[in-house]
Amino acid sequence: MQVAMRHSKQQLKTTKYQAIRTLTDRRRFLRGMGMSLALPMLESFDVPCLQASTVSTPVKRLVCVGTYLGFHQADFFPKQTGKTYDMPYVLEPLVSFRDQFSVFSGLDHRGRNGHEGWQAWLSGSATGSVSMDQLVAEHVGHHTRYASLQLTCGTPPDAARLSFSKEGVPLPMIGRPSVLFQTLFRSDSDRSRMEYVLKGNGSLLDGLLEEATSLKRRVSHRDQGKLDEYLTSLRDVEKMVQKQEAWLERPFPTTDYTLPAFDPVSPDQSLECEMLMYDLMALALGTDSTRVLTFLVPGWSQVFEIDGRRLSAGYHGLSHHGNEARKIADYNLVGREHVKRFSRFLEKLQSYQDPEDRTLLDSTAVVFGSGMGDSNTHDNSNLPVLVAGGGLSHGNHWANDRAASDSRLLGDLMLTLMQRSGMDIDQFAGASRNLNECLS
Amino acid sequence: MFLWCQLIGFSTVLFAGESMPAPVVDFLKQHCFECHAGREDKLEGDVNLDLRSVDWASTDSLELWTTVHEVVHSGEMPPRDAESIPGSVDRDTFLAWLGEVLTEYSPPGGTLPRRLNRIEYLNTIRNLFDYPEFELPPSFPSDVSKFGFDNVASGLVISPPLLAQYLEIATAIADEFLPQPVTLPKAEPHHYSIDAMGLNTDEGGGGALAGEVFRLVSSRNMASAAGWTSSFEAPISGIYSVRIDARVFQTGSMFYERRSKPFLLQVFARQNGEQKYAKFSDMRMLGEVSISTSEAKHSVDPLEVELFQGEIMGFRWADGPVYSDPGRIDLSHDFIDDRLLNDPIFYAAALKLNGGKRGSSQAEFYEAICALMESGDLDLSDPALGKPPAVYGGGLFNGPHNWCKAYAHEQMHRFGPALDILEVAVNGPNRVVISQTMRDRLARSKAFLGRQASESTDILFVERFLRDFLSRAFRRPVSDDQLGGYMELVCAHRDEFPEKRIEDALHLAIRKALLSPHFLFLELGGGALDEHELASRLSYFLNGSPPDAELTALASSGQLSKLDVLGKETRRLLSKPERLEFVKHFTGQWLGTRMLKDIMPDPRLLKFFNPDRDALIEETELFFEELLAGNYTLDHFIDPGFSFRNQNLNKIYGGDLTGKKMQRVSFPKGGRQGGLLGLASIMMATANGVDTHPVHRGVWLLENVLGQPTPPPPADVPAVAPDTSGATTMRELMLKHQADAACARCHEKIDPLGFVMEQFDPVGRWREYYPIYTDGASEKLKEEFYSSQGEGTRLGRRIDTSATMPGGTLLNDVTDLKAYLMNNMELFASCLIEKLLIYSTGRELSFGDYRIVQSLTNDVLDGDRGFQDLIVSVVLSESFLKR
Repeated sequence: MQVAMRHSKQQLKTTKYQAIRTLTDRRRFLRGMGMSLALPMLESFDVPCLQASTVSTPVKRLVCVGTYLGFHQADFFPKQTGKTYDMPYVLEPLVSFRDQFSVFSGLDHRGRNGHEGWQAWLSGSATGSVSMDQLVAEHVGHHTRYASLQLTCGTPPDAARLSFSKEGVPLPMIGRPSVLFQTLFRSDSDRSRMEYVLKGNGSLLDGLLEEATSLKRRVSHRDQGKLDEYLTSLRDVEKMVQKQEAWLERPFPTTDYTLPAFDPVSPDQSLECEMLMYDLMALALGTDSTRVLTFLVPGWSQVFEIDGRRLSAGYHGLSHHGNEARKIADYNLVGREHVKRFSRFLEKLQSYQDPEDRTLLDSTAVVFGSGMGDSNTHDNSNLPVLVAGGGLSHGNHWANDRAASDSRLLGDLMLTLMQRSGMDIDQFAGASRNLNECLS
Repeated sequence: MFLWCQLIGFSTVLFAGESMPAPVVDFLKQHCFECHAGREDKLEGDVNLDLRSVDWASTDSLELWTTVHEVVHSGEMPPRDAESIPGSVDRDTFLAWLGEVLTEYSPPGGTLPRRLNRIEYLNTIRNLFDYPEFELPPSFPSDVSKFGFDNVASGLVISPPLLAQYLEIATAIADEFLPQPVTLPKAEPHHYSIDAMGLNTDEGGGGALAGEVFRLVSSRNMASAAGWTSSFEAPISGIYSVRIDARVFQTGSMFYERRSKPFLLQVFARQNGEQKYAKFSDMRMLGEVSISTSEAKHSVDPLEVELFQGEIMGFRWADGPVYSDPGRIDLSHDFIDDRLLNDPIFYAAALKLNGGKRGSSQAEFYEAICALMESGDLDLSDPALGKPPAVYGGGLFNGPHNWCKAYAHEQMHRFGPALDILEVAVNGPNRVVISQTMRDRLARSKAFLGRQASESTDILFVERFLRDFLSRAFRRPVSDDQLGGYMELVCAHRDEFPEKRIEDALHLAIRKALLSPHFLFLELGGGALDEHELASRLSYFLNGSPPDAELTALASSGQLSKLDVLGKETRRLLSKPERLEFVKHFTGQWLGTRMLKDIMPDPRLLKFFNPDRDALIEETELFFEELLAGNYTLDHFIDPGFSFRNQNLNKIYGGDLTGKKMQRVSFPKGGRQGGLLGLASIMMATANGVDTHPVHRGVWLLENVLGQPTPPPPADVPAVAPDTSGATTMRELMLKHQADAACARCHEKIDPLGFVMEQFDPVGRWREYYPIYTDGASEKLKEEFYSSQGEGTRLGRRIDTSATMPGGTLLNDVTDLKAYLMNNMELFASCLIEKLLIYSTGRELSFGDYRIVQSLTNDVLDGDRGFQDLIVSVVLSESFLKR
């Protein structure tokens, strides 16, 4: 079932500005009543996003999309390098964006093979290290209600993980469109319950701070260190609760976008789910609910029907094509379906203006690819990757020579993206250079 | 006050505030100062025993003199080649004096307030709420180990992300036990129609072909064996009416015989998007109907079913001839099996094609068989083609259900038998109901609150409830002050939110309690360990959870600290099933079995799967538990004459056991089998899955069996890595490296132990030769991991295990090392006691604690005292009883 986007660019902009106006009014009202300004300053009043962008930090947002079962490399990477390459078969749906993305070949982490190595796509060779999106979220997350959101379709296999926290914990992903919708556009009844719970948290943390402070006076000097740890943590969590309260004060955006009555979360509905997720991702960025998104496009053994034809084997089976032409052709059909949906997502980002009057695509770096190199052999070298948008200079196919002494790593590309989002970072995932020269 | 006197010429000196008898001074002068005093640049090993720098209040001095005590005690110092070796009387006098001083300044005790570790926290929540289903979120941080264990207070820090997790869990728990009131909306029935194509099999295994969708297989696995209404999920929990139109499809060309008995159709419910590999037996069955074989459309009388919000329905043909379950040949009965067994020509053709061309698809293989059958080229008299076996043994093809499953489906699709579901019509909800989750919560809430009829006012009820709950949460009777604080919180909530229920106020109180330091920390008080703290220390030690009712009652009545009561309680806790927590977590860390999950043996060495790993861990735990429950003497740790094995372990130890259940097996004592030195789990944990390293195993044995930990190597020493080409043995590499005197000091202890253990390969199998990994095989085997038999190695050089220990004991192989340990049981005993004391008290042991280790060692070896007796002695020792 095809779900049309039932909102326009105009509506989306109104939504955002309405939200800000409401809050401004409330502050004015409080001032008018002669009350002290009890609300914490919100980031939107620091107006960092309303300032003209500086050249050094064109990347305001980051989206990373990875397909679990990869792509057929020969049909993903262009045969020629530079600007005049022939569009590869799998990337054909992106042809209208040709000047707005760059393809990279020969990049990887020099990491482990197999599905587990896949998990390190955004983090480097060691599974369980912090992923790029989480580093960026730490940098830009304070601007938005959600520092980042992790998404997928349905319930992917356990090994399919994209985002890792600083503690090395794989972050849970939202797999149901309806849940993501709720997260972005909560109803008022949810909100009042959350407000109530947060208020309670505030008061119980106060009580505990008092209790622990008096307890500290009664214990030995050695034991005080342990209570200090506890007190410090209490104060930090209190700040976190205050931040959550502040965001609740700010109303959720509204939308007239509607989802189907059911979540297409079964594996053979996953292409449909993928489309809904992209729609909601565009909305999440458009309403400035978050600036960092990761989206894992999963794959199982589902047998797709594409253009009215049932494919010759399940998706996972196709990915292990054994170099059989018929299977590769069908595998590529699925790959193209992913790229089509991705292209539609770029279109949406292109159609939204951000407050700086740039298009959302222009201020959002979008990484698309896979942590799976050659799915047939589970070889994780030469990972498919392209970068779109983000105000970067595009249109190239840049090929890295893996055998060369100055061979680059995927981490170099990630360093460029992080540096362009204003982060002070020069080492990541075993890489310590960057690929600025390819994107400027 | 430090008072320094010239050493020479005084019969007694004061030394950092301690008077030092003349024989002690003489001892130091005669045996130590030559190398360890005087000019800085002439000090041996950078050890300066200059008495002027001693400050007993500093940890540096304590550590240095503790080492002095250790090396003199063990005889390591003065060195064997020293000019004068002290007599035993002099030595004992010196050690006695030094021991007294060190004990005074480093007395037993010193555990810091100890936060519950991950496992204790989990068990505590389960216990406190009687909620065994509770699981921690995957994002819950893990703990840091100190001194070998993750329950040592100094390693258990509390960080903001952890506290945030506690808050999140507290809220989720409170929601679970004090749910929001439910208001049911009015039912608004709708009509939904799902046609055959709308029934979804997740993976297409049910057979959709040319616009028809049939149910073909009857597996327990739901992914391939049911059609699901994934485009209809119940919009709200309620009663729905479901009408099914179905027909049976059978033709004359079927491989199977036409059947007249009706086909059985089952209807199931599950949450949409849930993991699809659940079994039908774990799902809720909504109904079962028979579909007659008359082949006409059969309309089933509408079923009234209860569906919860977000659920979808699945339709399964339950009694077809074909069912397959991945990994379970015994539960699989495939179309292809049936043909192989019942069609001799088909069998002969398949055999002739020998599994088909590598890389050919299922369909191609199947078609090749059929083509060969039709071609007439098949010579059935060829004896090589044989006869079909009486039962399918799985020997001909690797996983028959994988071979031709999809193609078999297609055959059944074309010719039957199949069950064809034409349409499912849903109407509803006719009535809205409370979801199952909410029903469970409401029932849980009622039991949790336990409000009695006599509690006529909220205040009476809340006071009784909180007094009881907080006392259990804080593991001690709540003080009136504490209770008052929580009552105030409840009252303030009532005043601020008059429209809310009393349960909402309790929701807040419970969240607070679960974040309170009294809940999160053990032993938060000062002074001597009191009865309740003792009860908790004992209970977390032996059961990994808060004190049970009996222990709490004894603590409340002040009886628990009586040594006879405490001893009895120790034995009682060791007889509870929860002792498994002790067995698991103590052995998991002491013997390293927790690390096994991170080690993947090289497939060239052997095929190794998770059940094999689990069996290795289970063997270790059962062995330990048996010694504990049977109160075996400690020598059984080394040479027990028995172990626990199952069929999975045949590939490690040899043998021909059958069945997955672990069984006790006996073997002669004195051999290489059995005991800590024979456990493959330990051999695996001390290797890396590919090769072995004598240093790793030697260091491990010193630290965990002989109780003689060695310091880490100096930072500038390059590691010696095994030569996997087989040209040089580890032994040769190591001997070269031992020639350096500075290395030799530790390596003369480490290497002999390591060499002896070289006869165990990286997975703990016995071996006589080093393997050489054959690289040609490696690529092929990596590709075909699941078909490899682990033969990617050939024999390399013979292993030479002989070595001489520092004391001169000659070791030829592991049985000599066992004999050595049996003759020197005090080494192992004190090592085990040390580990038990660290684990049970949650602290690094002080010098005073180590003296207690020594006296416990002497006690346990004196007479026939067993492992359980030892645990009782540990609990009754001053070390355990001191904060």
